Amino acid sequence: MIDLTAVYASPFFSITISITAYVLGHLIYQKVKSPVANPLLIAILLVIAVLKGLGIPFEVYRNGGDFISLFLAPATAALALTIYSKITILKKNIIPVIVGSAIGSVVSMVCVYLLCKLFNLDATLTASLLPKSVTTPIAMGISTSLGGIAPVTVAAVVMTGIMGSVFAPLMIKIFKVTNPVAVGLAIGACSHAVGTSRALQIGELEGAMSGVAIGVCGLMTVIFAMFI
Amino acid sequence: MKILKQIAVVFFICLLGEVIAQIIPVNFPSSVLSMVLLLAALLLGIIRIEHVQEKANFLLDNMAFFFIPAGVSIIENFNYLKNAIVPFVLICFISMIVTFVATAYSVTLVMRLLGGQND
Repeated sequence: MIDLTAVYASPFFSITISITAYVLGHLIYQKVKSPVANPLLIAILLVIAVLKGLGIPFEVYRNGGDFISLFLAPATAALALTIYSKITILKKNIIPVIVGSAIGSVVSMVCVYLLCKLFNLDATLTASLLPKSVTTPIAMGISTSLGGIAPVTVAAVVMTGIMGSVFAPLMIKIFKVTNPVAVGLAIGACSHAVGTSRALQIGELEGAMSGVAIGVCGLMTVIFAMFI
Repeated sequence: MKILKQIAVVFFICLLGEVIAQIIPVNFPSSVLSMVLLLAALLLGIIRIEHVQEKANFLLDNMAFFFIPAGVSIIENFNYLKNAIVPFVLICFISMIVTFVATAYSVTLVMRLLGGQND
C-alpha cells in the first residue's frame, strides 16, 4: 500500500500541484480573456480546493510551498531590470513620474488608513491593508514590517489589481484622463502589475509608464511606511 | 553553467539585501533593498544585463506563480478575514479609485506646468 500521507508531505507534491494550478489558471485566462479570470487567483483557489478535498493541512503543503516562496525576494530584485529597461522613458518623464508616484503612494495609504478608521478595523488589519496598492512582494515586506498579516495583504493586493484592471478603461472615460503618461502612471500606482497588463493593451507609452510606476511607487511606499 | 552563474548573482544580491536590512536602523524590506542594489549595479555598470538576463526573465515572467503559497495561506486566516470581508472589499475598491484619480490629475497638472511637451 502507498502511504498517502507521506506522498502529500513530499515537497514535490506541493510544487507539482502549484505549477499545475498555475498552468490551468493561465489556460482559463486565455480562454476567458477577462481580467476577472486572474491566473494567480484561479491557481490559489484550485490549490485550496485540492488541499480541502484531500484533507491536507496547510502546514503539510508548506513542505513544498516554502521552496516556491523562497523565489519571492529574487523576483522582487528582478523588478530592477524592468525599471532599467525603461530608463530612457523614465529619464524623459522624471518629474511627472516622481510627483505622480509620490502623490499616488501617499494618497493610497492615507485613504486606506482613513477608511480603516471609519470601518473601525483593528491595527493588524490596517497594517495588512496599508501597502495594498503596490506590487505583491513589496507589499508583503511592508505589511510584515508594520505588523500586518502577509496573506491578508496578498489577498488585498490581488483584489485591488483585478479591480484596477477591470475598471481602468471606465475610469479613464469618467475622469477624462487624456494624457498617456498620466493614464499609465495612474494605472500603475493604483493597480500595480495586474493593471499594467491592461495598460499595455491601451497603449505602449501607457504600459511603459505603468511598469515604471510599479517600481517607483513600491519604493516610495516603503519609504513613507518607515514614518508610520 | 550560464544559468547557474546568473542564479548566483541574483541570490548574492538578495543575501546582500538581507545583510544591509540587518545593519540599517529602520525597517526596510530586504527584497526591496535587493531591487535597489541590482538597479544601482546595472546603472553603474558593475553588473551587465547579460549577467542576469535569463534568470531575471524567468523570475519576471513567472512572477505571479511565486505568490501561490502566500495566497493559499489565506485559509489559515480565513476566519479572521471573514468578519471584515465587506469593509475589506470596499476599502480596496474606494482607495483604488481615489489613488487613480489623485495620480492621474497630479501628473496631468505637472505636465501642463512643464509646458506640456508630451501632451
